Amino acid sequence: MATTTNSLTLTSTDLFDDSLSISNTSTCYKAGTTIGLDQTTGLTRAYLTATTVIDLFPVVKGTINAAENGKIYIANLSKDETEFVTINIGDAVIGRLYAGDFMWMPWSPRAQHVNDIELVPSVATGVNVEFMAIHNFANIYPTGVDS
Amino acid sequence: MATINATISVFSADLTSNSLSLSNTMTMTKAGTNTGLEFTSGLVRRKLTATTAIDLVTVGAQMYGTPTASVANKLYIKNTGSSSVDYIDIAIGDKDSDAGEELLATGGNSKITLGKLFGGDWMLIPFEGSANNDIIVVPSTAEATTIEWMLFFE
Repeated sequence: MATTTNSLTLTSTDLFDDSLSISNTSTCYKAGTTIGLDQTTGLTRAYLTATTVIDLFPVVKGTINAAENGKIYIANLSKDETEFVTINIGDAVIGRLYAGDFMWMPWSPRAQHVNDIELVPSVATGVNVEFMAIHNFANIYPTGVDS
Repeated sequence: MATINATISVFSADLTSNSLSLSNTMTMTKAGTNTGLEFTSGLVRRKLTATTAIDLVTVGAQMYGTPTASVANKLYIKNTGSSSVDYIDIAIGDKDSDAGEELLATGGNSKITLGKLFGGDWMLIPFEGSANNDIIVVPSTAEATTIEWMLFFE
């Protein structure tokens, strides 16, 4: 097992009359346990030069495993505020990450193709993105050679 | 406009053979601009006592305003519990969906599950806010589960 902590702070001094300050820290565990997630895709950095859909995290097999749990991090590294990437899960749009935005969410892949995490750049002029999954999945990697 | 900052840190000394230390800060801005988001739902706290699906964040007009669809909205959700066994499933679609995992292009009775938030877990995602993109929560237990959420929108 491994110990991976994730924390978030949300702050604003002028969103309300009073200031906003939210702070959270949690540990990435396997589902239903206090055993740490022990696999990762590693932090990938990609330079995308087309507006076509790409699978960041495909579900290679379709088996549901209740012991599986995962966390996903995606960041749009663009410096141009007009550039965004659209994040989908299968046919559902989660939302847009504009330049400098990131997201962190749980992921429990349940069905092949349906639960793939996908990304679509808004421009073909080149966008840097980073993404990583921390997980204990059996189903996002091939189990044999491609033939 | 307002200045809203979000900072994430992910750290592990033993997930891989070298330590992982990731940190990133974003300022929430309106789509295509450097102008900060200025509207919010406020921090909402709900106690759920059944395993039925509910629409946690619905699209369209709300008591806190009408979030614009397909822009730079952000959504924060936290399971405030402490259980490592009980969780809430987070999905996109419609609460009246069947058990299938497929979002129908035009229908309301469908959903796709993102994942599970166990006690103490949080998430921060962009919020699309278009038709058939409600955020749904399904608790795993009928024991009281308290969740907090906050939408930042334009």
